[in-house]
Amino acid sequence: MTSTSLKNARVIDPANNVDGKGDVHIRQGVFTADAHPNTNEPTATINAEGLIVCPGLIDLYARLREPGFTRKGSIQSESQAAIHGGFTSVLCAPDTQPVIDSTATVELIRQRANLANGARVIPIAALSTELRGELLSELATLYAAGCPVASNADQPINDTGVLLSIMEYAASFDIPLLINPVDAQIAKNGCAHAGAIATRLGLPGIPVAAETVALARLIELCSSTGCRLHISRLSSARGVELVKQAKQSGLLITADVGIHHLFFTDQQLLGFDVQFHSAVPFRSLADREALRAAVADGTIDAICSDHAPHDDDAKLAPFPSSGAGLAAFDVFLPLLLALPDLLGIALSDVLAKVTSNAANIIAHRDVETPLNPTAMALPSGDLSISSSADIIVIDPDQPFKLCTETAHSQGLNSPLLGAASLATVSGEDIPLKGKVIHSFLAGRHVYGAEI
Amino acid sequence: MRNHDPQFNQFGKLHHFLTLDGLDKETLTGILDAAEGFTGVNDKKIKNVPLLRGKTVANLFFENSTRTRTAFELAAKRLSADILNVDLVTSSTKKGESLLDTLRVLESLQSDMFVVRHSDSGAADFIARHVSPSINVINGGDGQHAHPTQGMLDMFTIRRHKGDFEKLCVVIIGDILHSRVARSGISALVTLGTGEVRVVGPQTLMPADVETLGVKVYRSIDKALQGADVVMGLRLQNERMTSATIPSSGEFYRTYGLTPERLKLAKPDAIVMHPGPTNRGVEIAGSVADGKQSVILEQVTFGIAVRMAVMSIIMGHGEAVREAEQAAS
Repeated sequence: MTSTSLKNARVIDPANNVDGKGDVHIRQGVFTADAHPNTNEPTATINAEGLIVCPGLIDLYARLREPGFTRKGSIQSESQAAIHGGFTSVLCAPDTQPVIDSTATVELIRQRANLANGARVIPIAALSTELRGELLSELATLYAAGCPVASNADQPINDTGVLLSIMEYAASFDIPLLINPVDAQIAKNGCAHAGAIATRLGLPGIPVAAETVALARLIELCSSTGCRLHISRLSSARGVELVKQAKQSGLLITADVGIHHLFFTDQQLLGFDVQFHSAVPFRSLADREALRAAVADGTIDAICSDHAPHDDDAKLAPFPSSGAGLAAFDVFLPLLLALPDLLGIALSDVLAKVTSNAANIIAHRDVETPLNPTAMALPSGDLSISSSADIIVIDPDQPFKLCTETAHSQGLNSPLLGAASLATVSGEDIPLKGKVIHSFLAGRHVYGAEI
Repeated sequence: MRNHDPQFNQFGKLHHFLTLDGLDKETLTGILDAAEGFTGVNDKKIKNVPLLRGKTVANLFFENSTRTRTAFELAAKRLSADILNVDLVTSSTKKGESLLDTLRVLESLQSDMFVVRHSDSGAADFIARHVSPSINVINGGDGQHAHPTQGMLDMFTIRRHKGDFEKLCVVIIGDILHSRVARSGISALVTLGTGEVRVVGPQTLMPADVETLGVKVYRSIDKALQGADVVMGLRLQNERMTSATIPSSGEFYRTYGLTPERLKLAKPDAIVMHPGPTNRGVEIAGSVADGKQSVILEQVTFGIAVRMAVMSIIMGHGEAVREAEQAAS
């Protein structure tokens, strides 16, 4: 294996409070302190002047669509799109077909991911069999097979007793639960934020209460079970408030937001634009502002892609019948890089949300459980010496424009298609910039010009 | 963000008729004025005018309807168009792909105009955006979004009886949440400068932030009716009683039904409107529906003239596009 030195880069390593000019050295798959190998192995040097070197991004929630929905995307296409977009690790949603509730499915995903040679694919276990919210799935077995967290995907857990049981069981093994808070009885057949825009367009609404009622239930059960709870994809100001209170009361709760929810509101739905049809709805301007503030003040720990590639036919339908979700891998980095200016926080703090914080959320804690987590290669989200060298090199100033020809995801369902700035998309004059130059996965050069 | 309003063609003319939301006062008044001209046709012995002779209008109804479909059919026939009724009622699990496929097939039948009814809000907008530009689309009702010809015939009826909108107080009673008739009505009333538009009903039948539509929200029907010039009822679907929206038709009638006693709270010359079909003893008393203040049947009659006006206006605007296309090919 070739050793690599990245020279004169702006090195950002949020976990170690590093942000400054420097060199990074990779040898035998891990970071090393110096560039001089003791062996005769060849060393490549990359001049990274003007570029950013940081840990590879970790996505806490993405749909790769395989098995089951390969007309929308495959592990091959989406793990490649992920690596092009700066992700070295991607947690894949369990709402595949079959759902990820058996080791066979985990094994299938692992094999396909190995062949794909893209980002590291980490399957999320379905927390109930077939995601029906009725029976516990084999969380410990799935953990041993390689699923560090369990989730309900976008499916409801209607029975509170079952939810309590799932949380107690997960707590026994210290397996974090990643749950999208939605009360299905309140959300019903809604397809848009219940507010002025949905009212004007006659679209069935999803009230904020669908999120907050589910959150309140989750927080109470988290408190009584001691379960590690990660709130996946917050959408509302009131939801942020509930998470903040729960954190202040000392609960082990973390939360994330989908990247698009930091940029869009329900205003974008005018004209029935199906590209803004999202399962977690884009809410009001006040909600978006609260989400931004929560990213800045740390209430929101992580930012995920909520990547949902679709085939063209899925979006060729009237709004309520169109497929929900946005393809995000291709546009994630330019949006992420716009956040420091937008939120008035350091780039390092923004990167922490997709590197070290994300790694901490899925990492196994050193507690006494019957599980053996050592077999699982989880990303560390940092550049610490001797840690696995998952690393990306970014040019933050290169203008970005998503085109059908250059998109890497199989899903072209992005409202940013053809846009050089958000001005024409959401009215905010935010230019899109940023490109991944190189990616390394466990020290292996997996993307970028040959070195 | 979609800035482009699909209702207007490359010449800036009203090419489709999808929603009243976004149309200006001049456009709405123009349609009402044109409809005035067509009311005369209905009174003549020979009721046809040749404005749409040689044109084909296809009624594409993905949702059950007799009244609206018949009204469009009659309007098209009075304009001397050929009319094609396509019954497309399908299951609620229908797929978007099939909608587009259906559209392509119907396009190839060489129609000039589609009248569309569909259970999805935004379906007419979707069809207008994907149909060949040589076809004009009229929304005959899409989900809970819009029913623009109903909205216009309501405005026509109000103007005939009350004249100037600016002095009027209009009250809309009942299920605003699920009503495309209410949305189109409110939109037109606000654009036409109506003095006050009130909505009244239980919170379960009110959409979120309904006041942003430009209406005043009332909980008490007695208060809402005071000083009203126009009282509009809405049809209450039976499924509202089975979906925990309201407890029973009896309780709805007791709390929000338009009874003769309540109607007395409105101005003595107030008119009573309803898009039909009425549920007597649920949202309206039979004696009110049949009473001398009721203009419900007039609405139906005016509906023909209004639809003739809309069809002839947008078909005319479509001609320019069709000629441009022909010249290009």
